[in-house]
Amino acid sequence: MRLPALFRTTIFQLTLVYMALFGASVLALFTFIYWSTLGYLERQTEEIIEAEIRGLAEQAERRGLVGLADVIAERVRRDSERRSVYLLVDAALRPIAGNVTHWPERLDRRGEWVDFLKSDGDGGYTPVRALVLGVGPGFRLLVGRDVRELEQINEVFRRASVWGLGLTMGLSLLGGLLIGFSAQRRLAQINRTTRQIIAGNLSQRVPVTGAGDEHDELAENLNAMLDQIEKLMAGLRHVGDSVAHDLRSPLTRLRARLESLANEPAPSREDLEACVVQADALLATFNALLRIARIESGAYRSAFAPVDLGRIARDVCELYQAAADERGITLECDAPVDALVVGDRELLAQALTNLLDNAVKYTPDGGRIEVRVAATPRAYTLTVADSGPGIPESERERMLERFTRLDGSRSLPGNGLGLALVKAVAEQHDGRLALGDRRPGLVVELELPAAEPDAPSARTR
Amino acid sequence: MRILIIEDDKQVASFISKGLTEAGWNVDHADNGKDGLFLAATERYDALIVDRMLPVVDGLAVIRTLRASHNSTPALVLSALGEVDDRVEGLKAGGDDYLVKPFAFSELLARLEALMRRSAAAGAAPATVLEVGDLKMDLLRREVHRGGRKIDLQPREFQLLEFLMRHAGQVVTRTMLLEGVWDYHFDPQTNVIDVHVSRLRSKIDRDFPTPLLHTVRGVGYRLDTTP
Repeated sequence: MRLPALFRTTIFQLTLVYMALFGASVLALFTFIYWSTLGYLERQTEEIIEAEIRGLAEQAERRGLVGLADVIAERVRRDSERRSVYLLVDAALRPIAGNVTHWPERLDRRGEWVDFLKSDGDGGYTPVRALVLGVGPGFRLLVGRDVRELEQINEVFRRASVWGLGLTMGLSLLGGLLIGFSAQRRLAQINRTTRQIIAGNLSQRVPVTGAGDEHDELAENLNAMLDQIEKLMAGLRHVGDSVAHDLRSPLTRLRARLESLANEPAPSREDLEACVVQADALLATFNALLRIARIESGAYRSAFAPVDLGRIARDVCELYQAAADERGITLECDAPVDALVVGDRELLAQALTNLLDNAVKYTPDGGRIEVRVAATPRAYTLTVADSGPGIPESERERMLERFTRLDGSRSLPGNGLGLALVKAVAEQHDGRLALGDRRPGLVVELELPAAEPDAPSARTR
Repeated sequence: MRILIIEDDKQVASFISKGLTEAGWNVDHADNGKDGLFLAATERYDALIVDRMLPVVDGLAVIRTLRASHNSTPALVLSALGEVDDRVEGLKAGGDDYLVKPFAFSELLARLEALMRRSAAAGAAPATVLEVGDLKMDLLRREVHRGGRKIDLQPREFQLLEFLMRHAGQVVTRTMLLEGVWDYHFDPQTNVIDVHVSRLRSKIDRDFPTPLLHTVRGVGYRLDTTP
C-alpha cells in the first residue's frame, strides 16, 4: 500500500526528523535538570539516613540493645519535624522501640534501600525511604525518612516534563509544517509551470519572488534554461523553414525542367546534363547542411590534435592564388610557421577555403585580399580581409546563419552555407568568429586558442 | 577485367553494374557481406566495390578479413551521404579509396581505373622518368621537357603534372586532384582546381600543335596523346 500523499512529501519526512531531534534534545535537557535537582535532594536524604544508622549501630555496639532502645526513644522525642522514622524489632518482628507501630507489611527493595508506606494512623500514608540493619541475635533496626516532599516534587516535575515535551513536539510539528508548506507551495508552483511547458506552452516562466533565496535561484536557472531551449527551438524551426524554402525552389525548377523534357520525343543531351548539374547543386547543398550538422554535433572533436594553422593558411592561399591571379586580385598571405592550435586540419582548411572563396567571389577585379595568422598571448588570430563591398553592420550577425545571403549576391553562385560552416567550425574549436569593416571590404577574424606547448607534436603530412 | 560489387541497395548496384558492363567489364554482385566475402575470397577479381553498411557482415569487416588473409585485391569503399569523415576509418580497415554516395558514375570509374593501375604498378620499380607523347618528366632532376624544350614549372604545378602523368590516359576528377596534390578531402566548391589546371595547360600545351591535357566535360581532366 502506498502512503498517503502527505506522508511521502519531503517536508513531512523532514518535519518528523526535526520533531524527533527536538524531542530528544528536550528530553536530554529535562533528564539533566532532574538529575541535578531532585537527584541531589534524594542523595542528601539518603546521606542523612546513612549517617543516622551508622550512629545507632555504634550505640548498639557500645551500649547493647537496651541502650539502643533508649537512644531511639530519645531521638524520636527530639525529632520535632517528625520526619525521621525509627523501628527496632525482635526476631518475631515485635516492635521494641521507635515511632512506627508495626513492621511494614510491604517493603519495596531497591538495592540496600527499602521503600514503604507508613500508616499515619488517620487513614493516610506517608512514603518512607529506609535502611534495615541487623543488630544482635535476630533483632532488626529500621531507620528511614519521610520522603513525601520528594515524591511531590518528583510528581510536579514529571507532569511538567510531559507537558513540556508535548508542547515542544506540538510546536515543532507546527513549525516544520509551516516552513515545509511554504517551501512546498514554491515547489508546487515550479511543478505547475513545468507541466504547462511539457504540455507545449514554451512561453511559460517560473515566477520569481525577488526574495533572492535558493528558490529564486532555482527559478532563475530554470527560466534561463527555458530561454535557451526556446532560442534553440526557434533556431531549429528557422533552419527547417530555410531548408524547406531554399531547397523547394531549385527542386521545383528541376522538376519543371524534367517534366518538359519528358514531353519531348528526343530530349537533348545538353538539357539532360543541365538537369544533372542542378541535381548536383542540390546534393552539394544537402552535403553542406549535413556537414554543418555533423560538425555541430561534436563528432570531430575526439580526433582533434595539434595542427599548424600557419601551414593550413599557406596551403589554402596557394590553392586560391591562381584563381586570384586570374582576376587580377592581389592575394597576400602572411602566416608564421608552427602556429599550433588544437583542431582538425580538414575542417580548418575547409573553413578558410570558404572564407577565401567568398573573398575571391566578392572582391572586384584588381582588388586585394590579405590572409594573416597572428600570434596573441594565448591564441592565434586568422584574418581574411578583402576589398569587396563588405557586409553592412546590421546584417553581420545574420550572415553567420544558414541560408542567409545578401540581396545583391543572389545572382552569384553559392548556397548561403559558407559562413555557417565557418561559424560551426569556430565553435567546435572553442574559437571566436567576428565580422568587421575594412572600409571598404570585409574583415573576418577567427581567433583560435593556441595549443598547449607540451601537447603532442603536430601532424605532419 | 573482373569486378565484384558488394552492395545491398539494388538500385545503386544495378546503376554501377550497368555502367561498368557498358565500359566493357565483367561484373559480379553480392547483396550482403557474407556472400561478398565468400566470392571475394574464392574468385579472382581485379577490384572490389564495397558498401560500408551491409547486412550480415559489415563492409569494413569484409575488407579487414580479406586483408588478414593476404588478399590484396584493390577495394573501393562506398558510404552514405554525410559519413564523409569516416574515410580515415575506411582506409585504415584496408580500403584503397573512399567514395561518398551519391556519386557521379564518372567519378567512380575514374577512381576504379586509378586503383587498378596503382595495384598493377605496385610491384614494378619506381619510375624516375615519366613520359606521355613528347612530354617528359625527370623526377630526380625535377625537370620537364616537351619536344626537347625545357618547361619551367612552379613546385605545385610540377606535382599537379606528375599526378596527371601518373594517371595518363585516365580521367582524373577535381576531387582526386585536391586529394592527390593538395592532400585535402573536401569538395572543391568553385573552380579553384580548374584555374590551376588551365595555368598548367598554358605552359605545356600552348606552344605545341597537339594538346595533351584534355578537359572531360562535367567530370575532370585527362592527360593523353589522343583527344
